[in-house]
Amino acid sequence: MSRAVQRVRRLLAMVPFIIQHPGVPIGELAELFGGSEDEIASDLNLLFLTGIPPYGPGELIDVDIEEDRVWISMADYFSRPLRLTRNEAVALYLRGKAVLGTPGLQEAPALAAALEKIETALGDELGDVAERVETAGTATPPESLDLLRTAAAARRRVQIEYYSAARDDVSVRTVDPEQIFSASGFWYVVAWDEGVEDTRTFRLDRIRDARLAEGSFTPRGLADPHVRLYEPAAGDPHVRLRLHPEAGWVAEYYEAKVRSRSDDGSMEIELSVTQLAWVVKLVLRLRGRAQVLEPDELRRRVREEAVAGLANYR
Amino acid sequence: MRGVLCAAMHKVERQLQLVALLLDSPDPLTYEQVRERFPAYDQDDDESAKRMFERDKDDLRAMGVPIELVAVDAWESAEGYAISADRYYLPNIEFTPEEASALMVLAATPDEDDAAVQGLRKLIYGAQDGPLGLGGSLVAAGPDTAGGALAAVWAAMRRGRSIGFGYRTSSGKASRRSVDPFALVTRSLRWYVVGRDRDHDEIRAFRISRVTSPVEEGPEALARPEEFHAADHVTGPWERSEDDGPGARVAVDERVAWWAARTLYDAEIVGPHDAGRVLIGAPMQPGVLEWVLSLGSEAEALEPEALRAQVIEVLEGMADV
Repeated sequence: MSRAVQRVRRLLAMVPFIIQHPGVPIGELAELFGGSEDEIASDLNLLFLTGIPPYGPGELIDVDIEEDRVWISMADYFSRPLRLTRNEAVALYLRGKAVLGTPGLQEAPALAAALEKIETALGDELGDVAERVETAGTATPPESLDLLRTAAAARRRVQIEYYSAARDDVSVRTVDPEQIFSASGFWYVVAWDEGVEDTRTFRLDRIRDARLAEGSFTPRGLADPHVRLYEPAAGDPHVRLRLHPEAGWVAEYYEAKVRSRSDDGSMEIELSVTQLAWVVKLVLRLRGRAQVLEPDELRRRVREEAVAGLANYR
Repeated sequence: MRGVLCAAMHKVERQLQLVALLLDSPDPLTYEQVRERFPAYDQDDDESAKRMFERDKDDLRAMGVPIELVAVDAWESAEGYAISADRYYLPNIEFTPEEASALMVLAATPDEDDAAVQGLRKLIYGAQDGPLGLGGSLVAAGPDTAGGALAAVWAAMRRGRSIGFGYRTSSGKASRRSVDPFALVTRSLRWYVVGRDRDHDEIRAFRISRVTSPVEEGPEALARPEEFHAADHVTGPWERSEDDGPGARVAVDERVAWWAARTLYDAEIVGPHDAGRVLIGAPMQPGVLEWVLSLGSEAEALEPEALRAQVIEVLEGMADV
């Protein structure tokens, strides 16, 4: 989609919002409608000249920008937005339904009510298939969710007992929780870890026990509106595996890069990881359906773990 | 002079003006009328002005602006362009502040062209007093609603049509599928279409992200059976599909047992076993062997004997490599 078309689309949605919210800060518009503050400002500047030809008095849109706040008047025909396209309506409705299935979502009742209103009002766009949408899985929210939410809101320090799958290790940590989020069906907390003096992301179902600790904290700005679970760092080990067709799910589940596929359905994948410990367990679990191509250290550790496991049976 | 200036008028500005003009006009406007009132199209070069108008119109229609060509009078002597207010304006939906901020949970995606987010930006225009923006729960939406496949399946269901598409199974097998779509099922933010595989006459679940081609509509679809529960056909990797025989008993290091018990369906810690280890009991189910193996040297399968033998066999194979 061309840049100009994106800008028209954004303006058609943004102008009604500004008319309904006189004096809205440009920063808020950038957050809600995407783009940088500069881009929003230059879009608004184009509006100055817009109106209905032949531009008699009262036919030019009146845009007022003062100290990074915006007012728009004289544009009654833009006081309500364009309808949603069918694609937009369906995508939004279904995303809502999917997110609604997140166990422990505080906003669930309000979201459900909003979706019902959308279903009623956008009947033309959505049609009558809403009853043919179902939710599967009966997950329960992790026990520590409420406590961590409360702690993040009150800026209270927390002590957790945590199983790190990446390191395959259980430890007790003191953390300052800043942001709770959900991705791929799991809840996570982004926190400052006192022990390592760095930011860490913890998966809530791997927290055995969480309790409020002494003291409070000042947020360090760790919250990020665009959730990312893993960011590759230079020096992270590269893992290459050859997967038997029956282990193909691994590529999808871990969003691995597929380097090649063979006619028999096997494939070679590449994963960038921070720790090898969890990959060792993964390879064991795949019981011979994954062949380690790289690194040598991984191959060695898989063998060692298998030998150690056998010792239990002798 | 005027012509030069106006031809340089920004495309964004021109397209917005065209929307404003047609929305505000009580009557349809012929191209000639649009051109008269619209300096941007009033150039000397007729052909290029008309092309510019056509392109603008197509761009706007593509983003959902309902520009229609209608007769300008009862005699249908000429046709003109119109945007009907009914078809243009979003119907009024009153969201409470809580509902509006709950909808914002759906915006946690950085993709500029994401259809759901585009729709959301229109819906929240009137929300007042709510904590719009970030601050509520953050839920990463997953990729399935971003592409067109889900919307295409939806459209086919609406029209009662079957669907055809390229599909790759999780084990990498690629083939062409023809399906009567009965329902859409969501699980952990992923989407599946559940329906009858027309070639195999079987109910199957297809994960939307594994669809490898555009979804095409086929012949009329078979109606969904009565009392059909689509969600039953979408199971996770760790779920038991049916009970088979007596339970498994596995000794697990105390250190990780609490975590291990959470990752197998219906597993529970039965009690202490021996030094540093506890006993976990669970119904036998597909995936038990993999679960034991994934615990490495921290687990020892005790019962049933067949499970124990399988674990030993796999470990021996891997210790040998």
